[in-house]
Amino acid sequence: MENMQLALSLLLAGFLIVFTVLVTLIIIILIYGKIIQKAQKTVAVRREKKAIIRVEELQSQSPASDVPAGGKVFGDDPEQIPGEIIAVIAAAVDALYGEKPHRIRSVTRERKGRSSWGSAGVFQNTRPF
Amino acid sequence: MEIFTQLGNVFVELFKASGIMSLSWENYVMIVISFMLMYLAIKKQYEPLLLLPIAFGMMLVNIFPGIMGNPETTYLTYDQMIAQNLDPESYIKTTLSDGSVVYNVTQNGGLFYYLYQGVHLGIFPPLIFLGIGAMTDFGPLIANPKSFILGAAAQIGIFITFIGAILIGFQTKEAGSIAIIGGADGPTAIFVTSKLSPELLGPIAVAAYSYMALVPIIQPPIMRLLTTKKERSIVMGQLRPVSKLEKIIFPIVVVVLVAILLPDAAPLVGMLMLGNLFKESGVVDRIAKTAQNELMNIVTIFLGVTVGATASGTLFLTPKTLGIIALGLAAFCLGTACGVLFGKIMCWATKGKINPLIGSAGVSAVPMAARISQKVGQEENPANFLLMHAMGPNVAGVIGSAVAAGVLISVLK
Repeated sequence: MENMQLALSLLLAGFLIVFTVLVTLIIIILIYGKIIQKAQKTVAVRREKKAIIRVEELQSQSPASDVPAGGKVFGDDPEQIPGEIIAVIAAAVDALYGEKPHRIRSVTRERKGRSSWGSAGVFQNTRPF
Repeated sequence: MEIFTQLGNVFVELFKASGIMSLSWENYVMIVISFMLMYLAIKKQYEPLLLLPIAFGMMLVNIFPGIMGNPETTYLTYDQMIAQNLDPESYIKTTLSDGSVVYNVTQNGGLFYYLYQGVHLGIFPPLIFLGIGAMTDFGPLIANPKSFILGAAAQIGIFITFIGAILIGFQTKEAGSIAIIGGADGPTAIFVTSKLSPELLGPIAVAAYSYMALVPIIQPPIMRLLTTKKERSIVMGQLRPVSKLEKIIFPIVVVVLVAILLPDAAPLVGMLMLGNLFKESGVVDRIAKTAQNELMNIVTIFLGVTVGATASGTLFLTPKTLGIIALGLAAFCLGTACGVLFGKIMCWATKGKINPLIGSAGVSAVPMAARISQKVGQEENPANFLLMHAMGPNVAGVIGSAVAAGVLISVLK
């Protein structure tokens, strides 16, 4: 009889506690989800506005600003970068920032040093636990 | 001629020491059961990662019970030490009240005895949870937090089974350990049993993992019975994308809340969420991978073989085991039914936006239970994809069963 009472009280207590904890989690997740979504939306809108303003500014400064004053379109030394490579880089940039207003101002070669594979190896072996 | 006599004696001694002479009929029955489990694991691929080590551990302990033997200390006098060719200087000396001196000769336990300490002390289940956390995507749950209701509903089976176990005549601690099988979560069942009634660990672990393996057979008939064709055909809307920040905050929030309200659930939920934070933070990639793979696999091997090794014939083949197996099945079925019924309530409350089939996934058994929701839903409507929706209640069920475990431990310990 005593065990039965314990069993019934455990049924009720267990039911209530499990539901209370999980319902509290629902409420918390809904609240912080809303806050984060709102914050991220605000940041996105702000960035978009900034980008639009910048494009408008650039357009008002120089309608034909694709060609800088120096006459060179890309890079420090455009002769060394073939046009096809520049086209591929431009396509990649467009794929990444396609929806946002963007413009490629220069394409420069990365300074020579340790290769990417070498850097990755050093990074892997020196990263702390 | 004397050589042949000696040879004969050697064979007689070997025969006497062999399992053929020392094993009981219960051991042989358990060896046959272990073969059947190995068959299910290898041929039918029912939870092979766990069932295979469990079955092998079961077989080993029934052939060689000493593999689970406790360490023993015997006390020998100086003369006995010399007679046994033992160096007295190498052993600890104890002076008894009568002034005589004895030497403590400790004999090591069996291999599984030491590995089993991880289960006995409740270390392995939280480590398994660490790996599960590192592999789990809580995105569907964050996108649709109402799934938590289904994860909670499926735990009702645990508490109803507790009453059933008490009515059958089990002690309260035993009943709590049996009832947790309804959570369909092996590590949780082991964790609770190791705290409440360690002597039942073998049958409970075997029952829990067997039912988890049999989810594809047990759940669909209950799901079909409790739902209409129209309900099973409901197509659910796409889940919203969840940002990285939300995923990072989630494990911290869950741990803070659960550990404050239910400290007994903290080891399980804490490690689950730590693993998840490793994954979602993206800054400890190596640790996350270790938790998901190497650590998880090592602990799974140790947990599996030692849990199997608790099922020695004389301890396992008792009427109690039959009761545990029957009640475990009842707990599992009740959990599934409660999940589906709450799914129906949510379906009604949302005017048909929720497919009740996802409720059955609330019993944990990740990801098998979610796959079953998907499979049964697709039987009615091949264009219906419930998997991601079912993953919400499924991972909620893991948290829910850990919370239920915390309740059982805190009330019954």
